[in-house]
Amino acid sequence: MLLTRKATGTAAPQARLSRGLSGALAKTMDRRTFLKRSGVGVGAGAVASQLPFSMIGTAEAKEEQTSGKIEVKRTVCTHCSVGCSIDAVVQNGVWIRQEPVFDSPLNLGAHCAKGASIREHGITHDSHRLKYPMKLEGGKWKKVSWDQAYDDISKKLLEIRNDKEKGGPDALFVIGSSKHNNEQSELLCKWVRLWGTNNTDHQARICHSTTVAGVAQTWGYGAMTNSYNDEQNSKSLLFLGSNAAEAHPVSMLHTLHAKENGCKVIVADPRFTRTAAKADMYVRTRSGADVPFLFGILHHVFKNGWEDKEYIKARVHGMDEVKKEVMAKWTPDKVTEACGVPEDQVFAVAKTLAENRPGFIIWAMGQTQHTNANAIVRASNILMLALGNVGRSGGGCNIYRGHDNVQGATDIGPNPDTLPGYYPVAVPGSWAHWAKVWNVDPAWLKGRYASEALMAKPGMTVSRWIDGVMEKNDAIDQDPNLRAIFFWGHAPNSQSRGLEMLEAMKKLDLMVVIDPYPSASAAMFAKVRKDGAYLLPAATQLETEGSVTASNRSLQWREKVIDPVFESRTDQMIMYQLAQKLGFADQFLGKKDGKQNIRLVKAKGGMEEPSMEDTLRNDINKGAWTIGYTGQSPERLQAHMRNQHVFDVKTLRAKGGKDAKTGYDLTGDYYGLPWPCYGTAAIKHPGTPNLYDTSKHSMDGGHTFRALFGVEKDGVNLLAEDGIASKGSDITTGYPQFDHVLLKKLGWWDELTDEEKKEAEGKTWANDLSGGIQRVAMKHGCSAFGNAKARAVVWNFPDPIPQHREPLYSPRPDLVEKYPTHDDVKTFWRLPTLFKSVQQKAVKEEMHKKFPLILTSGRLVEYEGGGDETRSNPWLAELMQDNFVELNPKTAADRSIRNGEYVWVATPSGARIKVKAKVTEGIGPDTVFIPFHFAGWWQGEDMLPYYPDGAAPIVRGEAVNTATTYGYDRVTMMQETKTTLCEVAKA
Amino acid sequence: MRLALRLALLLAAVLALVACSEKEQVAEFKRGKYQGKPDNQSWANDPLPAEFRGGTWAKGDRTAWEEQIKKRQLAQHEYRRIYQ
Amino acid sequence: MARMKFLCDAERCIECNGCVTACKNENEVPWGVNRRRVVTINDGVVGAEKSISVACMHCSDAPCMAVCPVDCFYRTDDGVVLHDKDLCIGCGYCFYACPFGAPQFPQAGAFGLRGKMDKCTFCAGGPEPDRSDAEFRKYGRNRLAEGKLPACAEMCSTKALLGGDGDVIADIYRERVLRRGRGADLWGWSSAYGVKPGAQPPVQQPAPTRGKS
Repeated sequence: MLLTRKATGTAAPQARLSRGLSGALAKTMDRRTFLKRSGVGVGAGAVASQLPFSMIGTAEAKEEQTSGKIEVKRTVCTHCSVGCSIDAVVQNGVWIRQEPVFDSPLNLGAHCAKGASIREHGITHDSHRLKYPMKLEGGKWKKVSWDQAYDDISKKLLEIRNDKEKGGPDALFVIGSSKHNNEQSELLCKWVRLWGTNNTDHQARICHSTTVAGVAQTWGYGAMTNSYNDEQNSKSLLFLGSNAAEAHPVSMLHTLHAKENGCKVIVADPRFTRTAAKADMYVRTRSGADVPFLFGILHHVFKNGWEDKEYIKARVHGMDEVKKEVMAKWTPDKVTEACGVPEDQVFAVAKTLAENRPGFIIWAMGQTQHTNANAIVRASNILMLALGNVGRSGGGCNIYRGHDNVQGATDIGPNPDTLPGYYPVAVPGSWAHWAKVWNVDPAWLKGRYASEALMAKPGMTVSRWIDGVMEKNDAIDQDPNLRAIFFWGHAPNSQSRGLEMLEAMKKLDLMVVIDPYPSASAAMFAKVRKDGAYLLPAATQLETEGSVTASNRSLQWREKVIDPVFESRTDQMIMYQLAQKLGFADQFLGKKDGKQNIRLVKAKGGMEEPSMEDTLRNDINKGAWTIGYTGQSPERLQAHMRNQHVFDVKTLRAKGGKDAKTGYDLTGDYYGLPWPCYGTAAIKHPGTPNLYDTSKHSMDGGHTFRALFGVEKDGVNLLAEDGIASKGSDITTGYPQFDHVLLKKLGWWDELTDEEKKEAEGKTWANDLSGGIQRVAMKHGCSAFGNAKARAVVWNFPDPIPQHREPLYSPRPDLVEKYPTHDDVKTFWRLPTLFKSVQQKAVKEEMHKKFPLILTSGRLVEYEGGGDETRSNPWLAELMQDNFVELNPKTAADRSIRNGEYVWVATPSGARIKVKAKVTEGIGPDTVFIPFHFAGWWQGEDMLPYYPDGAAPIVRGEAVNTATTYGYDRVTMMQETKTTLCEVAKA
Repeated sequence: MRLALRLALLLAAVLALVACSEKEQVAEFKRGKYQGKPDNQSWANDPLPAEFRGGTWAKGDRTAWEEQIKKRQLAQHEYRRIYQ
Repeated sequence: MARMKFLCDAERCIECNGCVTACKNENEVPWGVNRRRVVTINDGVVGAEKSISVACMHCSDAPCMAVCPVDCFYRTDDGVVLHDKDLCIGCGYCFYACPFGAPQFPQAGAFGLRGKMDKCTFCAGGPEPDRSDAEFRKYGRNRLAEGKLPACAEMCSTKALLGGDGDVIADIYRERVLRRGRGADLWGWSSAYGVKPGAQPPVQQPAPTRGKS
């Protein structure tokens, strides 16, 4: 047991064998020279491994010491949305040990490769972090002070803002991060609005935007309906477009536990994934042909009368129309033709799902990253609705989110079309509501924008910022082109069309990267530019505190483990300091009329930063009524973190228990108060473990489908039928959203306190700041958002009934003719967007012959997202040192490619990337697969010279997205990364 | 044929008896053979402070140490956590 | 009396490598040395792919111990096989003898010397004062002396890898087998008993009678 770490500084010299060594070597040979000379790209580890482990040093047998302040900080893993708890043992500010938290009801102590190696963040020896602010000057990265960086950046930003000809607030695009915690996400959303633009977005756009849109439009909330845990109550699981064993490994604890207890697991995927290896049944589908597969299943469901007729009649709108279409259009022959799955397999899936209810359909990027994804996700919803699976324990749509806080950042973070809590920018009332919550003068806020019209117009999306820079000025729907971009925790290699991104970088006036590991963006920029970029070292989530929303909508509070290392600063501090320079610091803190929403707290180096607790308590809890982010006070969340053992694993509910520190009674709470947790914290709503579950009282986490779409459509009732309401409801039939008028009509108005009445007058459940309307509705067992039907037909979408549409680059021109994509759109999220013209050009130029293989991409267990962070962790990097392409033995043999050789993968975009061949039966002969976590090579060239010194990740490789092609979803501007074309050749 | 069977049965019986007298299959550690430095037992230590999330036992009390190791091991058994 | 054992449940192992990095993290093992690794057989073959995490199995009658020319191995009272690195000559004979490829030999150093052997210690350190700096540097963490079990097993993502007292492991595993309603699907079952592991039929074509509820 090593308890003798030096108390001085942040790093212990003997903290790590390999690191100590490389430190010694560095005196004679710098890192870059070493790598060059040795010809290996593995960094410090390779140096260390040249010396025998046991020969290093002759350590004296010192007696163990337990001196120094030892603390345990409970935090949450930052690498995916499962939300695994971690106990970090910290001695004198140094993170010395990592212990599993067996009490956590989410992960029960379990970790995947990323979670089990997270302590590496705290080891500063030979760290690959960005250590201080840097500036690109004469093509070289140079160290600058924070003050100089702030001065330069703010000067340039104001210059662009004040440029009447070609500038304005809309010339800036801010890419936020799904790795920010909830508080930082909300603050960044506010920061961008105070600057005066809607041009902000984050990874959710290219992650689950299609899910959020499709699912919310179907039944109300665009989130995972239940929890990972609830799979234990399930009888069947259909994974379509999720490789959970690699992307969400710890979720498999619940999945495999369920399977052990009789739950049937089916995996449908173009690849035989590690998840498929654990399934009862594997079905190989064609990438992008999910609607035919899903409707093929539905065809058998209807044909055999397996649908839940009573449920559909009472709770679903438009299923008849869908049935008509599915029976006519998706006969087994057509299904097999389109998705390649034989009829007997489709039938077997349908039968399994029908005979094993309740069940889930589970998806991630496999469904969402398509040009047709809004239809795919809705087809999934419809299948679950037909089976009567939604709104109960053990059944529904378990939509696995990616980043640790992508759910939270979607809910309340920097989105181009909504303010926190999905209040649309297009509705003036949203601005009035949030200006009031933020304690900001609405007139001042309006003045920050270029015009009222642009204030109400959703901004550009992260998937398209390159076009915001490159597109002809008269073709875009705002005055200036984009000239400055902030990468605030975003990897460029997670975005498609890499070649064109490089062109866009050439044209930018300013790029600011705020990230602990800014390397891929930095290297790309330095490859084509001599100046114009700043890198600011941000702290990680382990170096700050705040709440984080797991995929199941549970909020968990992270304690700060260590202080920000090197010169890095927390994101909230950087936001505040930049706001000071740009002149909106007071508004940022909500300081007006003697009131201040967010206090400043002392932080690193005696500097001040906005309080995370205040941000949650006074911004988020006070404003995000629509989605119930109002009951999760910091105090309640912290009590949950301290008392994880009282929560049941299968239901997530606390049977009892009192927090020893505060006396808070946990009885009845669901773990992490999964949103919606309505009303104020004082009324103690327990959170909602399973959405739309009518078997529980609304104060017990039950509710109905949301009345979001009116009360009737073309004379047909949209509200729930008689007898359908959540348990104990005083209204036993469908009802609309609650507002002051309905409350008065029902005669419940006087149940409000006088205080509440003052706030609630003229308001709805969604903007009554007292929470009184919600409280009274729930007291009567009602759902404040109404009681309606789910929509199988979404009439406000381009395809009210989900249609199959071939990808823009399809391997099947015959199917393109039958199932063509959408028409081009002139203005879509401020930009012209092509569909049909690209598809037809591809057919005309016979791209399917030049590039006969389908290229798809996905995750590896060792890495996360763009991968700069995880590829900088030697414990992970060692496990996966090369990017690769999975090839079927036939594909490889036809091209004389052997396992392990380098190959070129070329796509219609004109790019070609160099990766190693991995020959495996796991992928079909028509498809190839490349993981997307790599960056650092550019079409065969190692970009090491373009990295800031010491901040290149240990493992670099070719980014698949350098080669991905054009293609966006017709509703949300999701990028197409899962289906394009390519050809592979021996290098 | 019969003889062969009889012999086989006899052999089987003898073998069965042999099995009965078999000593424990675990090879005992012969202290004399090991040439290296001595090591002490896990339980011959004081428990660490609670912050390290370890077990508690009285120094040298092997039974107590084993008991708490067994208890901790149940953390690897999710059924215990689920149906607690 | 506790006898320490590992068991990897192949029905649960998803090849996530959590055990590998847990080991790296806890013992700060250098690059190139893998005390534990995950082995996958029939990778990508439908119905046949299995993964299992392998390290030193802490054999009761350990071949490494039997063949070591300098007798640097010893077995603790709770059944953990450890060795003295001061004595080890790095000959690699134990590597020949080990059925699991557990012994690791750090690459040749600057002077062409062969490294000393390194292997999984069941998180029990080695023959240096327990929990001392010297023990940690040479052998890694001594979790047993902290009243904890190996980090790999404690952190396994699906609780596939079990580590601890053999009797308790057997109980845990038995309950799973009962729940599954079929025999053990342990890796190596078929070679040991000449029968295929339990009911994993070729899965691409499920019989229509599947899925009774």
